[in-house]
Amino acid sequence: MSLSTFATSRRTVLRAAGAGAVALGLAGCKSAVDEKRDQAAPAGSGGAPKRGGTLQIGSISDLTPALLFTQNSLTALHRLVFNTLTGYDPKTLQPQPQLATSWQVAPDGTSVTFQLREGVKFHSGRPFTADDVVWAIQNLKDPKRSAQLRATAAVVSDVSVKSPTELTLRLAHPVSNLFDLFEFMVIADKESVEDAVAGKRIVGTGPFALKSWTPGAGLSFTRNPDYFVPDRPYFDGVEVRIIPQADALLVALRSKQVQLAIGLSGRDVQPVKDDGQFSIRQFDHGSGAVYVGANVSVKPLDDKRVRQAVSFAVNRDRILQQALGGYGLASSTPWPKSSPAYSDATAKRYAYDPARAKALLAEAGAGELSLPLAHLALPSYTVAAQMVQFDLQQVGVKTTLEPLDAAKFQTQLINQTMPALWVGGHGFAQVHPSTLAVSAYPFNEAKNTSKFSDPQYTEIVQKAWNQADADSAAAKAAYQDLSEVLLDRQFVIDLVVLANLYASTSNLQGVTQNLYADTVLDDAYLA
Amino acid sequence: MTTLTAVPASAAVRRPRIRNRYLRGLATPRGVIGLALVGLVLAVGLAAPLLTSYDPDFQTADALVSPGTGDHLWGTDEIGRDLLSRLLYGIRSDVLVVLAAVPIAALVGCGLALLATAHRAADVAVQRLFDLLLSFPGLILGLTVTAIMGVGRGTIIVVIALVETPAFGRLLRGAILVHRDREYAVAARVGGAGPLRLLTRHVLPNAADPVVVHVALAMSVAVILEGAMSFIGIGIRPPEASLGSTLAASRPYLEDHPAYALGPLAVITALVVGLNLIAEALNRGARR
Amino acid sequence: MTGYLLRRLPSAFGVLLLASFAIFLVLRAVPGDPAETLAGSDPSPAAVDAIRHDLGLDRPLLAQYASWLGHAVRGDFGRSYLIGGSVSDLLGQRIGNTVELTLGALVFSVTLGLVLGVLGATVKNRFGQTLLSAFNSVSLVVPGYVTGFVFVFLFAVTWQVLPAGGHESILADPQIGFQYVLMPALVLALPVSAILSRYVKDGIEQALSEDYARTAKSLGVPPRRLLWRHALPNALPPVLTALGMQIGVLLGGAVVIEAVFAWPGLGTLAEQAVTRRDYPVVQALLLFLVAVFVVVQLLTDIAYALLDPRVRLG
Repeated sequence: MSLSTFATSRRTVLRAAGAGAVALGLAGCKSAVDEKRDQAAPAGSGGAPKRGGTLQIGSISDLTPALLFTQNSLTALHRLVFNTLTGYDPKTLQPQPQLATSWQVAPDGTSVTFQLREGVKFHSGRPFTADDVVWAIQNLKDPKRSAQLRATAAVVSDVSVKSPTELTLRLAHPVSNLFDLFEFMVIADKESVEDAVAGKRIVGTGPFALKSWTPGAGLSFTRNPDYFVPDRPYFDGVEVRIIPQADALLVALRSKQVQLAIGLSGRDVQPVKDDGQFSIRQFDHGSGAVYVGANVSVKPLDDKRVRQAVSFAVNRDRILQQALGGYGLASSTPWPKSSPAYSDATAKRYAYDPARAKALLAEAGAGELSLPLAHLALPSYTVAAQMVQFDLQQVGVKTTLEPLDAAKFQTQLINQTMPALWVGGHGFAQVHPSTLAVSAYPFNEAKNTSKFSDPQYTEIVQKAWNQADADSAAAKAAYQDLSEVLLDRQFVIDLVVLANLYASTSNLQGVTQNLYADTVLDDAYLA
Repeated sequence: MTTLTAVPASAAVRRPRIRNRYLRGLATPRGVIGLALVGLVLAVGLAAPLLTSYDPDFQTADALVSPGTGDHLWGTDEIGRDLLSRLLYGIRSDVLVVLAAVPIAALVGCGLALLATAHRAADVAVQRLFDLLLSFPGLILGLTVTAIMGVGRGTIIVVIALVETPAFGRLLRGAILVHRDREYAVAARVGGAGPLRLLTRHVLPNAADPVVVHVALAMSVAVILEGAMSFIGIGIRPPEASLGSTLAASRPYLEDHPAYALGPLAVITALVVGLNLIAEALNRGARR
Repeated sequence: MTGYLLRRLPSAFGVLLLASFAIFLVLRAVPGDPAETLAGSDPSPAAVDAIRHDLGLDRPLLAQYASWLGHAVRGDFGRSYLIGGSVSDLLGQRIGNTVELTLGALVFSVTLGLVLGVLGATVKNRFGQTLLSAFNSVSLVVPGYVTGFVFVFLFAVTWQVLPAGGHESILADPQIGFQYVLMPALVLALPVSAILSRYVKDGIEQALSEDYARTAKSLGVPPRRLLWRHALPNALPPVLTALGMQIGVLLGGAVVIEAVFAWPGLGTLAEQAVTRRDYPVVQALLLFLVAVFVVVQLLTDIAYALLDPRVRLG
């Protein structure tokens, strides 16, 4: 998932990227330094979109075919090759037509009927029908696919196909995050699915068809001439190059070998931040958040006042500035600003207040604490953990850092063997708030890393999840209750909501991403 | 099994006065410069609390200030810690690693060498073990051991010991094999010396030279390896400063804050060059 | 000679087999589970179990080893759990990159070694000698990441003439590729060139002190001609032997240099695969390194055997 990008943050020091021919004495070659000065001012967003050309993308992470039906680490694939039934408008979180042209949700929220687009073809030439949707839902329910939204897919109890372009899904109970599922669920060609999860052939209905994939090197896409959106996409092709080191990826961007860099952190992009040739887009959805987890089975963390003290003790703004280069949102709730659960008041509930932290610790009778603090052994997490450690020390809580590699961290996270405290990242706060509580492991009401269980929390989560209408006043009230219970219990102490960054040459227009951080290039072009 | 080991012939025959030989080696220009470099680094490391008033782990809001700003003689790092203080205390943590790892490697390596020279079957087993250990580049060994043991000082010590044990073992084994067949040893054996007495009184004192010289080399390898492991994020456990981890963390700021990297670069270079000069001086002294 | 090889080869295979088993066991002892890593963020236990079964990780250890070994001897090292694709392809590509770096370093070290060695044998004034020997001593011992930092600071930050890191295939685009390989290869080459220059210097000095050289000199053969036509060719064979022994050193050093210069070779692959428990990749990678070491060791032993009949017969 995109949190891994927070990880690699050795940024490069290169100014003259790519070519240094002048100094090498090769006559007739221009130096990249001069080239930069000579270049005209970046083109504005005005003017008609240009058609044609190939977009070069650099990505930190590669495709992991086995994870094709999860929120994958390679984000520049899903919305190129595939479509979903519906897609959210990121501003309003309202579903918009994609492969489904219209839909009706039953008033009691226990069924939904879709009318599907006619004449859509997979890249293989086979027409898309309602049966493909039925298969896609079954596919997500398969535990082997490891889809994060499996719990929501499992709510679909029965499907009836009325015609190749119309079907009805019946649900076991109403769920507020139903359309999160349809934003998430890519419609893949069922006939080639085993080839797809082996990485041999990935077939969908999307704007680009996958031509080839060389593990560790890159992917190559060609324009889908039969794409159902007329006159789209603009590009003739897309090349994705895998560049796993952040500093090398930035080198590639600065030398214009790639026009779009995906996966750089706020610290990585500092060198191009103020350079007019490049632009940095910030998306606050799909990026997750950095948090401190507390194991409530360790004394005195069983006392919520101690956990609240930890929350007051940490200086979130300093972490945002020093560890994340200023990109993101210092907040004590998991929600990005676009979330219906977001409010300024809850985000700022735990403003930096060491005196208050000390008072709470004294009240709980917890003096002279010494606790282990685990974290991922990656540069940015190590910096963040050291800052948390320092802040805690100032209120009398001594911690010992325990750096864990990715595999060990994951094992301890899902087997509930984390020590007293840990610094980690979680996702799934960007869509409907209840998705967080049923899909993100640290928050799961039934079983979570913190070993936290509380009937009231369970009740609030279930209430928020079982809303028939995600936009009703009742649903909004339920989200507010969810925020409040999280802020009060503080078994997950949110620090900073991360921003997902697209660093690109400034002439790249129209690139965006969906709510799961998948790159959308339907309307993209190079001006 | 015949082994080709370059042990200088002049080192044999009589039992030499070890102390003087090594001292004589160190009293050359090479030795003096080496001792001075290493001594200087050790001295500022030991005197750290006298030379700086900052706690190396104390963070301030003043991140990445230049040398000479306010009270920070050498500036601060990205989370506002005093760089001079982190450099000086980093020397201490490096020295701790070296002083723990090298003796372990020397003891284990020499122990295995004695075992190998005592018994034919043991020899084969020990040789294959050394082959296996030597076949992995140090850093890859480091990655694997860290995956098992987790990040920390103990892990680095184990990795350095694993890398250096075969070196010590092979050196001593080779030297023992050579000296055991020398005339003086044969003469002693004929004269009725038991195997233990032969080993401790005649063979070992002569065979020890390469081992003594290698101690200095192993120390420089230890400094280098700590740096390399820290560079890929498996070094000393944070927030403790070490030369390698400071160097690794300085990378993104090379452009705007070169002083950040310069400190550990200078100290590592001084240590490594100094230790190698000492090794060379000892080697020449032993040969004389 | 054949007899010697017959005795030596089984032992080399023994080390390989032993290493493959040790690697297999050690990897399994490492805490962390590839199935859990593979299941992505926030997986369900059912998903982890399903993936574990899919990868065959729920079978007994020895059965797993046997089936891995059975495939490995046929050249099939399985598929990478995380990166996907066959391990052989993946490794082949990364080995290619590391070899590119190593070959670059080889070229530099030979060139530098010859230049420094000839200088060492011909420069007679005391200051020049001291300077050369100091340069050799320092480049021999200073670790690659220190030199790398200094180079990056000079060439990429201060003068801005070379990229600070990254990789572009030299086959695909020679001009750009060369600029990427220049710094890391030079850094890697420095210590080796110091060793080679010593051999070159000794070889030339020895050749010049031979009788025929002294005779030639007394007959009026110009010193320059004597150096290039006689002394240098005579000094080369031991240099080549030394170079062969340094290839392993270069490969090992490449691992660190790759990290410094963000070079997508074996070192970076190892880091990625170990921290995420991609067993098939780690196993094949470590075994490859052992194999390289064993082969180099074997070649060295054979070279010794050729030079010294006692070893062959003893």
